[in-house]
Amino acid sequence: MLRMLVLRDLQRKYTRFRLGYLWTLLEPLGMSIVLWFVFSVLLGARSLGLDPYLLFLSVAILPWWWFAQGIGAATKIFRRPATAYAVRASLLPTQFWVLRVVLVSMIEFLLSLPVILIAVAITGKIPGPLIIFFPIAIVVQFMLMYGVALLIAAGSAVFPDLARLVRIVLRAMFYLSPVLYSISNIPSSVQSIAALNPLVGVLGLYRLGWWPEEMPAISDYAISLSLCLILFVLGIVVFRRAEGRILKEV
Amino acid sequence: MARAAFDRDLDAVVTFDNAGVRLPRRRRRKGGGKGQRIRRFAGEVKRDEVWRIRGLTARIEPGESVAIVGMRGAGQQAILRMAAGTLLPDEGTVQRSMTVIPMIEIARAFSRVLSVRQNIYFLGGLFGMSHDEVTEKLPGIVAFADVQPILDRYLAKAQFHVKQRLAWTIALSTDANAYAIDQILVVGDREFRQRCWTRMDERRAEGATFLINSDSPKQFRRFCDRALYLADGRLAAETTVDDALARLRQARQSQLPEN
Repeated sequence: MLRMLVLRDLQRKYTRFRLGYLWTLLEPLGMSIVLWFVFSVLLGARSLGLDPYLLFLSVAILPWWWFAQGIGAATKIFRRPATAYAVRASLLPTQFWVLRVVLVSMIEFLLSLPVILIAVAITGKIPGPLIIFFPIAIVVQFMLMYGVALLIAAGSAVFPDLARLVRIVLRAMFYLSPVLYSISNIPSSVQSIAALNPLVGVLGLYRLGWWPEEMPAISDYAISLSLCLILFVLGIVVFRRAEGRILKEV
Repeated sequence: MARAAFDRDLDAVVTFDNAGVRLPRRRRRKGGGKGQRIRRFAGEVKRDEVWRIRGLTARIEPGESVAIVGMRGAGQQAILRMAAGTLLPDEGTVQRSMTVIPMIEIARAFSRVLSVRQNIYFLGGLFGMSHDEVTEKLPGIVAFADVQPILDRYLAKAQFHVKQRLAWTIALSTDANAYAIDQILVVGDREFRQRCWTRMDERRAEGATFLINSDSPKQFRRFCDRALYLADGRLAAETTVDDALARLRQARQSQLPEN
């Protein structure tokens, strides 16, 4: 059931446009190139991020894309009439609908991974053995996203306004997370505050394979990653308690 | 609160114990959306939640077929949803000893972007059937609902009564032994209706339990053994179908303007 819906969601995304799957690659690649061009070539800000900047960007932009897409979609889950009717007549656990959205965005992310290979090919920077943290980062991000998506889906079922707020917060998160820059670019006094952003730890894990030396301190990792775990558990608990409310609203 | 909690020791199919549920009001009373919102903003009106059902205590025994009778908007759907577990009570408890299939506007639950075949799997999945189970039952469903020619087309293009037909076929082909039905099938072609009703009779003979809401007194008389009569969200009487219908008629008449 889940497999069918997820496959169908993907199929729908890919059959709508001529280039289909290629867009999954072109979109983040294009975005990376634009940002690389602006920050690296036009502004010449060599102090920003790490070399090679194009690779540095694309390694973080893909997970970011996954995050933004998944969370954005989570705000709409229980507000779409089609889903609402299905929820009303369904014996499946309500969490199912959230899991579906997160999985769809995750598979899209996995499909877009060749972008990193392309960036590696262009820049010629081969990752070290710490690349084993890459798959771990995917698992951690999945947990983070599932937790946050549960919270947001529950919240926006009850307060529709939350969807707007989430959009702004996502935009702010893009700049507050080390996507464009490295954590070592910000003053060390604020670094521990930045670690309160769970994405700092996650994005750090993704980049570890290429830049093992420049990444956040172990304690910052610990804070940031345990936040992921906390959000995961919190999401599950809160959603269970809010289920009655959600079912009323659909 | 776990949603699909079954109590296997329960000897009834569903029991309501002083159950009540508040629902957001759908209809806007005075002045349309904007005025309402301003007043709510100003704190004059609280977020409207009204008690749809209050203090409901009832038992649904295995094998019986119960009519939920009441004026329009008396909370029939809330009862059915609570019985199936797609709505949780705010007070009191609702217990189930088995799966109750929620047949509540099921024809609208179909997905617009799925083909007919995929939608069969989809709805079957909503009712808790596994993929293999649906595959096994697919030929039967297709034949019963008569959708062979459109099996691989989009269901969105089909007429509403075709959707309804398909939805009913799928629901009735589950292994469940209890159904909560909102609006019994009255549209579609007569021949299919007859087939559907025959199937329902068969299931009843096999000992399946039905909770039924309908707009048609005829259907109540045809299918139900007894009735719950609702007034203002409360259980006014547990009675025979005929008595409940008589009460309904009376209530409707007293609401008509005098002339």
